Amino acid sequence: MHVISRLYDRERPENLVFRLVAKLSHHALWDSLLIFLPPVLALIYGAVVLSHAAWISDLASFLVIAVAVGLGVLVVLLRYRPLIPSVSSAAQLVDQRSGANDRFLTLATIEPTHVPALLVARLSQETAGFMERVELKRDFPYKLKRSACWSFGMSLIAAILIHFLVPLAAPGTHTLPVRQRLSGLAEKMAQKPGLNGLAQELKTLAAKLEDPKIHQEEKQSLAQEIEKKIEEQQKKEEQQENRDLLGEAASTLKGIEKEQSASGQDQQKDQQKGGGGIQSNLPQKGQGDSKQSEGGEGQSKSDPSMQPSKDMQSGNSTQGNQKQPDQEKNQQQSADAKGDQPNPNQPGNEQSKEKIGKSQGALKEGAGKDKASEEPPQGAPPAERFYKAGEGKEGISGARYVTVQLPEEVAADSKGASRATKESKGTRARPQVPLSNVPLPAHVPNAPAEKQQLPIEYRGIIR
Amino acid sequence: MEPEQFQKTLRRLEAEVQRVIVGHEDLIRKVLIAFFAGGHVLLEGVPGLGKTLLVKSLSHALGMSFKRIQFTPDLMPSDIVGTEVLTENIGRREFQFKKGPIFAHVVLADEINRATPKTQSAVLEAMEERQVTVFGESHVLDSPFMVLATQNPIELEGTYPLPEAQLDRFFFKLLVTSPTPVELREILKRTTGTESGDAKKVLPEDGGKLVSEMNQLLRQVMIAPPIEDYVVRLVHATQTDSQNGGPSNISVKQYVRFGSSPRGAQSVILGAKGNALIEGRVHVSYADVEKVIYPALRHRLILNFQAEAENVTADQVIAEVIKQVPKN
Repeated sequence: MHVISRLYDRERPENLVFRLVAKLSHHALWDSLLIFLPPVLALIYGAVVLSHAAWISDLASFLVIAVAVGLGVLVVLLRYRPLIPSVSSAAQLVDQRSGANDRFLTLATIEPTHVPALLVARLSQETAGFMERVELKRDFPYKLKRSACWSFGMSLIAAILIHFLVPLAAPGTHTLPVRQRLSGLAEKMAQKPGLNGLAQELKTLAAKLEDPKIHQEEKQSLAQEIEKKIEEQQKKEEQQENRDLLGEAASTLKGIEKEQSASGQDQQKDQQKGGGGIQSNLPQKGQGDSKQSEGGEGQSKSDPSMQPSKDMQSGNSTQGNQKQPDQEKNQQQSADAKGDQPNPNQPGNEQSKEKIGKSQGALKEGAGKDKASEEPPQGAPPAERFYKAGEGKEGISGARYVTVQLPEEVAADSKGASRATKESKGTRARPQVPLSNVPLPAHVPNAPAEKQQLPIEYRGIIR
Repeated sequence: MEPEQFQKTLRRLEAEVQRVIVGHEDLIRKVLIAFFAGGHVLLEGVPGLGKTLLVKSLSHALGMSFKRIQFTPDLMPSDIVGTEVLTENIGRREFQFKKGPIFAHVVLADEINRATPKTQSAVLEAMEERQVTVFGESHVLDSPFMVLATQNPIELEGTYPLPEAQLDRFFFKLLVTSPTPVELREILKRTTGTESGDAKKVLPEDGGKLVSEMNQLLRQVMIAPPIEDYVVRLVHATQTDSQNGGPSNISVKQYVRFGSSPRGAQSVILGAKGNALIEGRVHVSYADVEKVIYPALRHRLILNFQAEAENVTADQVIAEVIKQVPKN
């Protein structure tokens, strides 16, 4: 309070010191602002540009701007506060300029009540004589710091780079989901009176694109249909703004079509390469974990043919819970099937392989034992202890099943029983049915007489 | 008293002493500052540099009583402070205190380091308390009172170096240096011819009162808190880590066995105030501090063996401390 009350008393020589403190504080504030403001502005500009280019959502851009502004204010304050000069340092500056030999320092810092008034008056009078030697504007002008120039320059370069590089980047490379893009466009179009219908259709398309149950081709045809409507509307439209919006929608739909067709082609290639695979309800630790973490983007690209059947979905299959296996998974599965052998590197496959081995071993063991002394007497029903694991009096109990997915050409040929039989005898193990929990057809020689689920123990035999 | 009067009186005293003493302007000024600040001065220099003459001239100029005590190994404390003697007064015999040479305004303790510590300590109470106690009875010394002690730095055989406690009681330790050729020529001219002058009395009859007023004015001189803080930092920087309770980054501390006491800071500030008044100012500046810090602290820094081995003096340590301690 004492300092503040003296601050506004301009007749006193020590007020020159207080005015200098205020001036230097302003300088410090400008220094801090000029260092940190350009990067913050560049960041805000970047966020706005990215938001316009639909690289990031409006919310994300708002958050980035808010964080940038908050951080900027914090950093400016943190830098500014230590730069505020003390009264003594300002007084020393005035003393140096005026050659007052620490008179300003003494006058600005002493407590007058503790000193004889006569001496204070004398000192004040002496100091007043030095006041004319100092002019704050002339002697303490604001000088732009080099760090501020650097900050401005670098921020400008960053802003220019953002300005020119963002439009150069491929329009389809941004990561905004299809549904969000289409929904955004639909919302914009919904605000225009003549485009309400198209907006509604776009929303429906967005929803359908996300739906894994709908076939790829159906999605494509839907997109094409709406695209045509949009183009027609575009031709009819008179307002430039609406035409731009429709053009944007059309280009987005084209992009979506391309994405859809590309994913469809990929899946076809996978299948041609031998995209068969085995789906099992066996607990597959390693594979199961990795599959759980997959998904996301690949949802729209998923192949409906790769979806598990309704039976499987209703069953307790671990893969049945994964509604939309993505493209990577398909590739992985196709890679598994390439060598017509389960990939030994896949832990889940190893496990299943082990299980197969075990079951085969168990069968062989059982056979060996049968030949030995433990063969049950002819005609009499076997005792329970003679049943193998998973078998009972009523037949096979608690059996697990495997889902075998065949490559297309094999699946096509599977109708011909003779060829399937031949191949089953060959070195390459091939599943005989597309989905193994469906009972083998009657014309297949190995088909069981009674309808039952294919037990896991028989998988080796199929191969 | 007005600051101008102080300055004028001091300038006249300086001029009067300089009529007798050739050169040593700074020495004379510092002795006068110490006198008006109420302190004592230790003059160190080889024989024949005019130490005793300086003190004599000063006492003459001040117009105050002056006594000289030549310190020798067989000097007894009673020889300095006085003793009770049996006297007969109107038929009655009684002990009467006979004042020693310490009872004077200006006392020259010549070659103080030649007396035994016991005798040296007799001066201690007089210097600090400005009184002496003989047979349980205290006797107040005249005011103003100043001890000007001299010591020879080269003839160390048969000497008793002053203990730290006693050294600390000296306001300033001033080094008397050899005269320059010009000064020596002037000395010869003044002392080998027929002309022989003595300093004349400057102060009026009631000089004691005037000195007291001047002392009061000196203490009223303003010192800005940042300058006080600077003095504190300087003194603190001379202290060892064990003294000030924490390490600091002053590199010269490796030469210090024991740093300055608070009396050192008092001497610096009072000396700076005196210097400001002489220069016609009523406030202390950083320059005043740096002018008086050497005589105020040099005898208070106890250097270690390493400093002695490397020929590092206390003045060098102080110079480095001034260089390293920031003013803000």
